[in-house]
Amino acid sequence: MKQAIPLLKASIDDFKRNKIRTFLTSLGIMIGVFSVVILIGLGLGLKNYIQNQFESLGANLILILPGGGFTGEGGSGIGGAALVGGVSFDEKDVNSLKRISEIDFVVPVFMKGVTIEAPREEKFGYVMGINEDGFKLMNVKAQFGKLFDNSDVQASAKVGVMGNTIAKDLFSSPADSVGKTVRLENQRFKILAVAEKKGDREADSAIFIPYKTTYGSLNPDKTFWSIYLGVKSDELVSTAKVEAEKVLLDRYDKDDFAVTEQSELLSTINQIFSIINSVLIAIGSISLIVGGVGIMNIMYATVTDRTREIGIRRAIGATRQDILFQFLAESTLLSLIGGVLGLVAAGIIIIIIRQFFPATLNLFAAIAALGISSAIGVFFGVFPARRAANLSPIEAIRYE
Amino acid sequence: MISLKNVIKEYKIGDTTLKALDSTTLEIKHGEFIGIIGSSGSGKSTLMHIIGLLDKPTSGEIIFEGRNIAKLTDDEISKIRNSVVGFVFQQFNLINNLTVAENIRLPLLYSKTKPDYDIANYANDLMRMFGIDKRANFYPNKISGGEQQRCAIARALVMKPKIILADEPTGNLDSKTGNEIIELIKKLNKDLNVTVVIVTHEKSVADKTRRRVYIKDGRVVDKYI
Repeated sequence: MKQAIPLLKASIDDFKRNKIRTFLTSLGIMIGVFSVVILIGLGLGLKNYIQNQFESLGANLILILPGGGFTGEGGSGIGGAALVGGVSFDEKDVNSLKRISEIDFVVPVFMKGVTIEAPREEKFGYVMGINEDGFKLMNVKAQFGKLFDNSDVQASAKVGVMGNTIAKDLFSSPADSVGKTVRLENQRFKILAVAEKKGDREADSAIFIPYKTTYGSLNPDKTFWSIYLGVKSDELVSTAKVEAEKVLLDRYDKDDFAVTEQSELLSTINQIFSIINSVLIAIGSISLIVGGVGIMNIMYATVTDRTREIGIRRAIGATRQDILFQFLAESTLLSLIGGVLGLVAAGIIIIIIRQFFPATLNLFAAIAALGISSAIGVFFGVFPARRAANLSPIEAIRYE
Repeated sequence: MISLKNVIKEYKIGDTTLKALDSTTLEIKHGEFIGIIGSSGSGKSTLMHIIGLLDKPTSGEIIFEGRNIAKLTDDEISKIRNSVVGFVFQQFNLINNLTVAENIRLPLLYSKTKPDYDIANYANDLMRMFGIDKRANFYPNKISGGEQQRCAIARALVMKPKIILADEPTGNLDSKTGNEIIELIKKLNKDLNVTVVIVTHEKSVADKTRRRVYIKDGRVVDKYI
């Protein structure tokens, strides 16, 4: 242990003498740690974000999706009006589902990406066709104005509720937009209300309109991307699910649709993200290995540079183990410097990214990054250090 | 103290084998001041490296303080080099990124047992004794050759070794400084009763030693011709 401080000093002195070489060598590990921490941060952030979105929908929720839905084969169909695999739901399904006694309300969901035009601006956003219960389900509340109700839905009224962000983008202030009109796909909609900001990019940049109003140029087939069911209570969720399946099986094949509880959906999301995270970590790890090889390369060069010094140290009594330890300490320190720099850089970038994307700096990732970078220093330092330790003292001392 | 019996040291260079030492037998007694004298390539430095346990013989026996070197592990040999032997080289062999004081104290770093004296104080005493105390915080490349060699001698002495092995210690110094260094080594032999072996090809240096061993073509000969 008494050797630790002088050896550390020797390493730091060597780094100071070769600042550029030290920086470039550490850069490999820095980039590796940076990528791993950033990728984990983005992966976990995205997972938490999606999880929160689903949790905010409430626990008594059942989702009906076309094809395999989230849990099985077939496409998920998220993000557009087109149904990927499976069937397209329609009004008839909504009415049949409404008859299930355990179900409190049924929300058909139509979704499509459109350009929303205001008198002075136009923006890309989403049009979401829902009914009045959809607001309750998605926890959308009016900040200004009043949300549309059942009579608007039944009357296919050309009215809409603007998401907070898009209202701000299209009009000077959200409050001003109430009562104004916007155009989408050549139809005029009167803005009844502006929703409170949800922090959900899609909802904040959407315009909610009565689903029946979509029947026309927006939704000529009169179909829905999915149907959400609000169940009366927690205990009734499983029964309601079975009932909903029964109802849909009257019209469709088993493989054409998926009835999913929110808890199933969350566990599927967790599974998906743990796979995504593993892949991201594996990709990031490649750069860590490349960085490690860089360290090994430089350590071999250092051993050659300092062969004479190794000989001198051996002549005055250093054992092979002492020399091994000295060079291992140096490669570990080099790697650790890279690790700390990478972590700091990743921390700064994550703080910046958080302004517009839900990235998180994970404590475990930070500790693991430092641990792994030290381990890389040891692993890739062992071979050059062993070479140094096994040099014959007299050959080393004569080395020019 | 050290005895070499029929020591042979061969080096392989490509397909040819070079015999640097050929059946060398030598006895070094405690407190002696010996000069190993020979021309360039005679094998005198190889002999010193073998005596100092920096190198291993191809064959033959070395008894160091009653211990057969062939039976010792590398760690045990390192320990002997650390605590029993002190080296002084022609090229000084100081570590350039350590100060004079750090170079002198360096052997303590590798000592597996704590010395029974205050090594930092002793290092300061040696620096004062050798007139380099004002250079304690200088790096080797900022001091003169004579000062560097004095620093190397102080480093060789800091662990209170029983034997000092000096390989052409004056080879890189002017004659006046070289003379001072030899006088210093002579004084150490007398005052500290430390055994000294000096390898040299200079007659003026050899004349200062009490016993002279002549080496020619890897063999100990009666007289240097």
